[in-house]
Amino acid sequence: MKRRAIRIPELGGARVIILHRPHPTVQALSRQLTAIGLSVIQAWPELGPEALAADYIFFDADMGHDGMFPWDAGQPPIPMIALIGSEAPGRIEWSLKAGAHAQLLKPVGDNGAYSALLIARDTFDAQRALSVEIADLRRRLEDRQTVVRAVTLLAARGKTEVEAYAQLRQLAMAWRISFEDAAARIVASHGAGRDGTGKDGDDRHGRG
Amino acid sequence: MRRIELGLLYSRSGSYSLISEACRSGALAAIAMVNADPSLGLTFLPVERDPGGNVDAYAPLCEAILRDTGARHVLGCVTSWSRKEVIPTVEKFGGTLWYAVPYEGFEASDHVVYTHACPNQHLLPLLDWVMPAHGRRAYLTGSNYIWGWEMNRLARERITAAGGEVLGDRYLPIGSREVGRMIDELRYARPDFILNSLIGPSSYEFMSAYRALGLVDPHFLPSSCPVLSCNLTECELPALGPAAEGLVAAGPYFRGVPGWPGPGNFGSSHEAAAFSAVRELARLLAHRDGAEELPLSQLLAGDRGPGGIVDPDTHHTVLPVIIARVEGGAFTPIRRLQAVAGDPYLTRGRTAPAAPMLKVVS
Repeated sequence: MKRRAIRIPELGGARVIILHRPHPTVQALSRQLTAIGLSVIQAWPELGPEALAADYIFFDADMGHDGMFPWDAGQPPIPMIALIGSEAPGRIEWSLKAGAHAQLLKPVGDNGAYSALLIARDTFDAQRALSVEIADLRRRLEDRQTVVRAVTLLAARGKTEVEAYAQLRQLAMAWRISFEDAAARIVASHGAGRDGTGKDGDDRHGRG
Repeated sequence: MRRIELGLLYSRSGSYSLISEACRSGALAAIAMVNADPSLGLTFLPVERDPGGNVDAYAPLCEAILRDTGARHVLGCVTSWSRKEVIPTVEKFGGTLWYAVPYEGFEASDHVVYTHACPNQHLLPLLDWVMPAHGRRAYLTGSNYIWGWEMNRLARERITAAGGEVLGDRYLPIGSREVGRMIDELRYARPDFILNSLIGPSSYEFMSAYRALGLVDPHFLPSSCPVLSCNLTECELPALGPAAEGLVAAGPYFRGVPGWPGPGNFGSSHEAAAFSAVRELARLLAHRDGAEELPLSQLLAGDRGPGGIVDPDTHHTVLPVIIARVEGGAFTPIRRLQAVAGDPYLTRGRTAPAAPMLKVVS
């Protein structure tokens, strides 16, 4: 798959939360983020409600624990960057489970925040786009059985399988719904004892 | 009287030595002025090291200054490549680099002061001028390192966003004179303007070949398809000769334009930016015993005097924006914009009001 072009995010005025106890690393990171143009909030040991308005989160991977984020584990609604001091495998595993999109090694010095922001944003966007695509594909896969049943129902009226398939496609276009949704209607109307291909049926479905 | 050592890290030979010499002249002129001013209560003693245009010599020589002498502040570097080499060293020793050359932005080190322009002070206003005046079809050239790459990336982003088109994007290794392919491509692409982010001999060779092209095909005369630059100043005009005619450049200063960086005549903006760096350092250190040992952040935080020029968040400065064309061997301003604060990450909005232009207090 060809990699899409990176989008340089709009960082001016973006809000970032640093979830870390007060420490020189927080100062150094805040300096970098302020220079870049973001507004910085420091929080510890828990994210406050302001987390729900943040655009990015840097979190301490060394002292972090489950339940410190107000969302389901591994399902962050914004890009997350792990602040890693101890490169112990257990801590890295926990950071990944928490949903880290990028990392920055401690002690934080004079640089690193900008690339972490861009990589986290890009990874977050890519994951989100893939999730949407996978959910769509999964749904279509699950609907395959419905399509087979709809084609069989249409073919039972004397059409060949190819003709029944083409008719289903035409119905989907006429109803302006997906192929899989059209199949579901055929199957449902058959189950209700109605003929989904009749003229009345067409009309009703077309306005549904 | 305090005697304060001040590092100078400029290459006196190599492919960009004209720029180094301009910066060095500006620094030495400011040092002489500081040393002759009894009201400051301090004198600067220059400690010079010459990397000779070799990028790998910068970090060791900077370390030698910070380790073996009393200097905590170093003026130096011309290329962004050398600046990036030096930053870990100044960070390690708690020193400060004063950088007086236009650069590509996307940096705000805690240990660097940037006294020349970044893209919102050079490239973006230059594109704003050229696209309505000449058209939106561009050809981009640059030297093969971060300056050329990032300038052309940003130019491409802005030109495309304005509905324009980039017809070509070509790079040469630093020092290379192989401009034939660029000239051939230009003859076919026939753009509306060219952005030249080449440095040193590559740039001189390109400008000379482009002038020759204009003599055989009038589309390539500067009046029709100009060459733009964000780093060419008066200090390189002698190397360019007649090939510079019609070149359009953006910068905070051109010879004879009053205002920044205060009273005085400067040969170029490189000279002026180095001058302003030394003057600002003297102002920050004056009447603060021991301040020369402080890291930059504390030096700036403790500044109580009026007239500071360094933004404490970004370490960039407010600069005028002047667009000028070479006519008869000298730059003539064709557009002057209000002074604007350096916005290295382009996050502060292009129309954000600049802090008032402050004069350097003597």
